[in-house]
Amino acid sequence: MHIAAWFLFTMVVLGFWGACGIVQKLSTDRISAWSSMIWLVVGYALLLPWLWPGKILFHYSTHNIVWGLLAGFLSTLGSCGLYAALKCGGKASIVIPISAMYPLVVVILAPLLLHESITLVQGCGVGCALVAVTLLST
Amino acid sequence: MQFLFTLGSLPIMVVLLLVTKCKLEKDVKGITYGTGAGILAGLGCLGLFAAYGTGKNTSVVTAATSLYPMVTVVLAVLILRERLTWLQATGLAFAAAALVLFSL
Repeated sequence: MHIAAWFLFTMVVLGFWGACGIVQKLSTDRISAWSSMIWLVVGYALLLPWLWPGKILFHYSTHNIVWGLLAGFLSTLGSCGLYAALKCGGKASIVIPISAMYPLVVVILAPLLLHESITLVQGCGVGCALVAVTLLST
Repeated sequence: MQFLFTLGSLPIMVVLLLVTKCKLEKDVKGITYGTGAGILAGLGCLGLFAAYGTGKNTSVVTAATSLYPMVTVVLAVLILRERLTWLQATGLAFAAAALVLFSL
């Protein structure tokens, strides 16, 4: 049975981010939302030595560098809201699924900005995923 | 890309350090969980960028990876003893269906 590489990587994401939600909740149970955010970024930074891409970084176009930095900035800014919600007493099983509804924005913007199209089966999958995240947040 | 992503998150840490005047709680467990969350999130991001790097459709990869609450909800029930409603259980079934459809 052939499993596509992107699907395997997706499983890796599900495992790490799924566990991350629990650890975030455990963190905000003990320290403030802002402290949790600071230590979250420290956790990111601990991975930096392994992530150093080498000299190729200097060959990236300015556009790509700006997109990369902006992705990290916006994602971390979003995490601030997530931590604040968890610290305010939000249950992990409610707050995490609601915060995972961001693909609604991506699914709308990707065809418009990146001119991508999806097949009918993939469209059904996206629909199921959105219904799933909505139900998980109830 | 993950390297730049991490660098992009640093300004927010600086702002938070200024806001909190560097007065952080010293709860070891809280710090360990907080840092662990960052490591897990960073490793997850690596997987996300690798998935995008395969050239697969952005909408499909984003929607598929956004199903991670399925894992969080199951772990919340098992570890945090949070209760699962029938609607959430139905949500898990839809998440499983979505993954099957994406894998086709």
